[in-house]
Amino acid sequence: MNDEELTPLFEELKKVLEGKVDDETLMGEIRKYVNSYGIDPSRAKRAIIKKYDAGASAGFVTADAISKKIADLTGSEMNIDVTAKAIYVDKKEISVRGNKKTIISGILGDETGSCPFTIWEGDSADLVKGDTYIFKNAYTKTWNNRVQINLGTRGRVEKTDASVNVPDRTITAESREMKIGEIKDGVGNVTVTGRILSVEERHITAKGEPKTVYSGLIADDTGKIQYSAWNDFSLKEGETICAKNAYIRSWKGIPQLNLGDRCEVSRVDDNFGQIEEAPTQKTIADIVRIGGALDVSVSGTVVDIRAGSGLIKRCPECKRSILNDECTTHGKVEPVFDLRMKLIVDDGTGALSTIVNCADTEKLTGITLENAEQLAKARGDMDSVSREMAQMMIMKRITVRGNVMSDEYGPMMIVHDAEIDTVDVTAEAEKLYKELEGAL
Amino acid sequence: MNARETAWRLFSSELNSATYEIKGTDEKSPSYVVTHLGAMVNRVLVAGVLTEKENVGSEDEPMWRGRIQDVSSGNFYINIGRYQPEAAAAIADIEAPEYVAVVGKVRTYTTNDERVFVSIRPERIVKIDEDTRKLWMLEAAQATWSRLNAMKKATSIADASEKDLVDAGFSEMNAKGIVTALDQYGIPNSAMFLKTIQSALRTILPDSNIDLGLPEDMSDVPEELDIEPGASGQNNADMEDTILRLLDELDADGKGAPRDELERRAEAEGISSMELEEVSNALMDKGLVYEPNLRYLKRI
Repeated sequence: MNDEELTPLFEELKKVLEGKVDDETLMGEIRKYVNSYGIDPSRAKRAIIKKYDAGASAGFVTADAISKKIADLTGSEMNIDVTAKAIYVDKKEISVRGNKKTIISGILGDETGSCPFTIWEGDSADLVKGDTYIFKNAYTKTWNNRVQINLGTRGRVEKTDASVNVPDRTITAESREMKIGEIKDGVGNVTVTGRILSVEERHITAKGEPKTVYSGLIADDTGKIQYSAWNDFSLKEGETICAKNAYIRSWKGIPQLNLGDRCEVSRVDDNFGQIEEAPTQKTIADIVRIGGALDVSVSGTVVDIRAGSGLIKRCPECKRSILNDECTTHGKVEPVFDLRMKLIVDDGTGALSTIVNCADTEKLTGITLENAEQLAKARGDMDSVSREMAQMMIMKRITVRGNVMSDEYGPMMIVHDAEIDTVDVTAEAEKLYKELEGAL
Repeated sequence: MNARETAWRLFSSELNSATYEIKGTDEKSPSYVVTHLGAMVNRVLVAGVLTEKENVGSEDEPMWRGRIQDVSSGNFYINIGRYQPEAAAAIADIEAPEYVAVVGKVRTYTTNDERVFVSIRPERIVKIDEDTRKLWMLEAAQATWSRLNAMKKATSIADASEKDLVDAGFSEMNAKGIVTALDQYGIPNSAMFLKTIQSALRTILPDSNIDLGLPEDMSDVPEELDIEPGASGQNNADMEDTILRLLDELDADGKGAPRDELERRAEAEGISSMELEEVSNALMDKGLVYEPNLRYLKRI
């Protein structure tokens, strides 16, 4: 390349290096990299910056990082700079594969929005809430449809005097008024009105200090949710409250309501009537959308019965199910027998894995634990029980009640109560006919 | 997420008229058959009468084929091989005719002339009683009606994109299914699906004189048969006569006429294979012909 072709690169480098190198040396370096060694210009640029500006920047990666506003983040940036105000900061110790590690997490905000962040090498930094920082060479990921800023070993965080105006609404993250049945993970701050169904006092240690947490269930006419109050709001069973600025955290897909430091609780009139008696009836699609649910009931058709159903053996010590009379923790044991079913229930909107305990299995199938043991003995085959159950259960319409958790394999319910449904097909068909007649 | 696919309740008329498949690229992205009503079907829950079963494999390694009639003359086609051990064990003990229910995955098969057949590979097949069969019909009718309504709502939004539909309250899956269906097939012929619902309601409520005011002579089979390229334009009565004549000619040994041979001869007479399918269904409905097994057609 002749000098004319190298001029844009020269101008760019001159600007970045701000007079740290005289023009002649710089042009000489460029010619050496590009012409003598055949290094491509962009690589040469990084190398030259590193050579002359090593003290001021963290090496080659800096040169490629671009700056973005929070609202512009897509969640797939590999290397970006973000200048933002720390809205919330939490330094904590976690354990990674047995090793203790300090991380800093919290929320960053700028003019355009806010988003959570994590600094994975937390020992090297200290952030103060309200100060503005440049996150250099950060990367982003999405989790639960929200973009997160991450700072790994390549990244650095620096305090800056740049002024960042964070609108008030992002600091309070706007508390949305929501029905309990609609609450799902990632909704952030919420305002909820509901009746306290139970209160329990728990004493825990938070950040080295003893603390009393009040937790229990709160419900409205759309559902129930577990709450934790981190201050004493003197909550009483049966009263109806409006909690402003509460926030949502999820555990295994089940959203939980937290009444934190910024939460305001007021007593309001109760217009719910009888709400707490029956579990909330949901479709599987509803549950999948929310991720989990507390005390719901689902009606659907049993479409499969999974391995591990029927007569099983458990370790007498830890109650875990075992194969070949050998427990992974307790070695050779004298097993105890138990009955259970792992049913797949499908209601046409989605599929739900369920685990049905001994009592409900006996109720649904009419096969008692005693019968099952006799049957297995008579046929010399434990699996015969599950085959028998498959014939009885598949295609049955059932209603199951319990808590639903989610993992990568979808939603799963630990069933507290189960019943075979009887559907009045004639009445339902007549109803459908009327609807069709009315619509056509 | 790797959640289990929903088992769709749908009639054979909707499943069999589907010709478009979204192919999965790996284990984690499953394939879906998209129906005219926008159902994205990977798994189904169907029920009806197992009218025939046939072991086309060997004694040691059975490969079962069968058909299940759901309403009027519609059929689901099932194939059970060695990768469906529960279903294979179960079907061996079921004798046709019998009410059965099947949970299974859908598979498509494309012929050389680009026709698409949808079959079901059962994971489970169980005997059911008549009430359960009616319950399934009810669920399938309700589901079909709700898809028709969803389609109607979606088409009321001009040129709706998936995002428009999600904003209008559709789930992502339904939005994708409906947009794909409209792209591939256009606005569905709702009369055909209503006719199936009507047949189901008549079976469930035999004494109620169900009448949705649909033209009675309308065929239950998919509408695109009428616009199939290569349609001869012959009228049905002429084609029926021709097919009956061919059946006589081809039934050399009393077993009936082999399907593939019949198809070739019909083609030569200017009757397309889609028309042949339609005409033979009509003849079966009239009780003039039957299928001794899947590969033969025979005059009664």
